Amino acid sequence: MTETVTALRDGVAVVTGASRGLGLQLVKGFLDRGMRVAGIVRSTDVLSSLASESDGRFLPVTANIADPEQVKAAFAQIKNQLGPVTILINNAAVYPRRDILDETPASFMDTININLGGSFFACHNVLPVMMDLGFGRVINVVTFADQAPIPFAAAYSVSKGAQRVLTKVLVAEIGDRFPNIVFTDWVPGALQTEMGLPDGLPPEKAAQWGVTLALMDERDLQGAFFVENAQVLPPRSKKERVVQALLGQKPVARSLD
Amino acid sequence: MQTLDAENRIWDVIVIGAGMGGGLVGRRLAEKGHRVLFVEKGPRGHRHEGQGLADDVTDPAARLVRGYWPVPVRAVVEGQTLNFYAPIGAGVGGSSVFYAGSLERPERHDLEATPGHPHPTGGWPVSYDAFQPYFDDAQRLLGISGTPDPLSREDPGPLAPPPPLSEGDANLLASFRDGGLHPYRLHSAIGNVEGCLQCVGRKCPKSCKKDGRSAGVEPALETGLADILDLCDVREIQEEKGYVSRLVCDRQGVRLHLRARIYILAAGALNSPRLLLASAASSKRAIANSSGWVGRGLMFHLDEYFAIWPKKAVPGDGPSKSIAFRDLYSRNGDRFGMVQSLGVDATYGIVAMHIKQLYERSRFPKLKLVHNGLNVLAAVACRYFGNAKIFAGMVEDLPRYENRVIFDPDDPDVPVFHYEIPEELHHRRRLYRSAIRKAMKGMRLFHLTKGPQINYGHPMGTLRFGDDPKSSVLDRSCRSHDLANLYVADASFMPTSTGVNPSLTIGANSLRVAEIVSDRLKEANQQND
Repeated sequence: MTETVTALRDGVAVVTGASRGLGLQLVKGFLDRGMRVAGIVRSTDVLSSLASESDGRFLPVTANIADPEQVKAAFAQIKNQLGPVTILINNAAVYPRRDILDETPASFMDTININLGGSFFACHNVLPVMMDLGFGRVINVVTFADQAPIPFAAAYSVSKGAQRVLTKVLVAEIGDRFPNIVFTDWVPGALQTEMGLPDGLPPEKAAQWGVTLALMDERDLQGAFFVENAQVLPPRSKKERVVQALLGQKPVARSLD
Repeated sequence: MQTLDAENRIWDVIVIGAGMGGGLVGRRLAEKGHRVLFVEKGPRGHRHEGQGLADDVTDPAARLVRGYWPVPVRAVVEGQTLNFYAPIGAGVGGSSVFYAGSLERPERHDLEATPGHPHPTGGWPVSYDAFQPYFDDAQRLLGISGTPDPLSREDPGPLAPPPPLSEGDANLLASFRDGGLHPYRLHSAIGNVEGCLQCVGRKCPKSCKKDGRSAGVEPALETGLADILDLCDVREIQEEKGYVSRLVCDRQGVRLHLRARIYILAAGALNSPRLLLASAASSKRAIANSSGWVGRGLMFHLDEYFAIWPKKAVPGDGPSKSIAFRDLYSRNGDRFGMVQSLGVDATYGIVAMHIKQLYERSRFPKLKLVHNGLNVLAAVACRYFGNAKIFAGMVEDLPRYENRVIFDPDDPDVPVFHYEIPEELHHRRRLYRSAIRKAMKGMRLFHLTKGPQINYGHPMGTLRFGDDPKSSVLDRSCRSHDLANLYVADASFMPTSTGVNPSLTIGANSLRVAEIVSDRLKEANQQND
C-alpha cells in the first residue's frame, strides 16, 4: 500500500475478537463507514462470507491473541494486504467463570495473557505504524469488573483492571510525545452476547457507539473514559471545581449518540 | 551509523552537539563536500513527536528519550544552591526543537561601539558589517518571516512576508502605534504551512518550524556526506602537541575513540566548557584554557514578563504570537533589549504559576492553605485577564569573570554553574521595568514578574572569542587560541549577550565558522594534491 494516509478513516481499523458479538458488529460498523477492516480471530470460518461480500475491504486474520509471535504475524499480514492501521479496538477477551480455588496458575495466566497480554501485544504492533503516521486511535474495551469484583471472576477482574492501567500507562508514555495518538477506555455495557446478559443491549447498537468513538478525531479524548454512549468525566477536586466555576469552564461530557 | 564505521575513519569534521549551532555548521560543511560526523548526546528522535520541555518527567532515561537534558543542572545563583531542570535539549536539534522560533538580528551596537553606545568589551572581533552576510544566510536557511524594525537603519536581510495578522493582534499593533511605539512583525522561524500547529515551546511534527534539526541536521544527512552517532557521550577531548588528537566517547556501554581533521564544539554554552574542563581534569592539564576564561563570562538574559490589554478587545481572539518592538532596546547608553509577544495565552495555568512564584519569593509565611488559595486567586485573575496578551522584554546581561560554568569530577555529567547578578544589572532591570510601564501608558498593564527572572534557556559567553589570547578562549575565527584544529559554533563564543534571542546569532556565526573551516580544509587538500 503506498497511498498517503491523512485521516483515521483512510487507514485500516483492526478489531480483535471479531468472530462474534460486539467484535463482529464493530467490524460491520467500520465496513458501513467505508473503511478497510481487519478482524483478528481464532478461526476465520465464520467470517468467510462477510469477507467475500466486502469487496476486499475486510480481512479476517487467524491468530491466538495471547501469542505475541502470532499477533506480530497477523499485523504484518494486515499491513501488507490492507495498509497502515489507524484504529485499533482491543475487544478480544475471555471470561471463564471459575472459583478462584479451581484456578490453576496456568488457567489464571491464560486469562491474563488474553485479556491484558493481547491488548499490549496489539498496541506494541500498531504503535510504530501510528508513530510514522503521526496519529491513530486505540480503544480498549473495558468493564467495571475491577471496581467491585464478584465471585467466579478472579482472573477476568484482575486482567480487565490491568487493561485500564495499560491505557493510563500508554497515555503517560506516548501521549506527551504523540498527542495525536489517542487512547480511550470504553465500557460498552452489558450486552446481549454469549459473554453478556440475555436482556442486555443489542451488540449492534453498542457497536455504533464504538465506531463513532473510534472516529472522533480529538486530541482531548486522550485517556478519556466512556460508558455505553457517554463520556464519564474524572472526578474533580474541590479546587478544580472552584477554579472551573470561576473561569466559567465547566467540562462537558461528550455523547456518542 | 554503526559505531565501528565511525571509529574506523578520519572524518573531515566532527561536530560535537547537533543543536542550532552544530546543526547549521554541519549542514553547511556537508553541502560544501566535506565528510561530517555529528556526535550527539541525545537521541535522533521521531519526526512526528510533539512534546514540549517538561520538568515533571524525572527519570533520566525517560527525559533523554524525549530529547530533554537528562539530569538537573546544579547552580549557585545569588548565593543559593539550586537543582533544577534547565530548559535545555539533548537530541537532534538540541534546545532549538523546543524553542519559540524567534530569530532576531542584534543591533549594530551589540557587536561594536557606536556613537552614544560604548561597547562593554570594546567590541566583538568581527564587525556588524562582516557578520551581515551570515545573518542574511541564516535568515534564508531558517525561513525567517516578519517585517523590518521601523527604528532600524540597517538592512533587515531576507524576510518572508508574515502570515496575516489576527484581528486582536491588529488592534494591539494599533494600540502600540497610538502610544508612540514602533511595533513590527516578530522575526519567526515558524513556517505557517497549511495546518501549521504553531509549535511554540514544543517539537514540530511537520518540519514547518525551522530549527537545528529541520534546517541543520536533516538537510546535512540528506547530502549523503554527513552521519550521526546519537546517544553518544563525549567524555574527553584529547590533545597532542597543540592539536585535538581524538575524542573519547561512550555509546551504549561501549568506549570508542573518534578522529577528525577538524573538531567543532557545539554542545551549548553550559556543556561546551564543561567538556573542556572535564577533559582538563582527566588529562591533568589545561585544555584550550591558557587564558583561564573557559567557562567564564557566563551570561543569561533577564526577562520581564507582563500582560497587557489592547484598547479594543476582540472576544475569543487567540494568543498574540507575532509582535515585537525595540523602542526600549537602549536608553541613554543603558543596554536593555527587545520586547516580544510570547505566543502563549494568559491562561489559568500561566497566571497561577506567576502568582505562585510571586508568593514563593515574598516574605509571607509559606502556608499550604494560602498556597491553595492562590489557585482561586489565579482563576479570578484569569477572568480579569481575559484577552490579555503576554509579552516578554529582555535585559542584556554583561560578561563577568566570576559568573562561570565549573566542572564537578564527582558529578561529571551535570552542568554546574555559579551566577550572581551584579548591582549594575539589578539597577538596569529596574530602569527597564519602569520604561515598560511608561511605554504602555494608556493600556492596562500587569507585571507578571517581580524579582529578576533569569532566562536559563539563553546561556551564552563561556568560551568567548576575542583578539587577545589572555582574555578570550577563541580567536576571531572561533578557533581555540591553543588548539589549532578546535573550533566552537554555539552560544559560548558570544563575548556579550545582545538584546535579542541568541539563536539567529548562533546560526549566523555557525555559517561563518563553516566557511572558515571549509576554506581551510580545501586549502589543505590542494597542498596535499
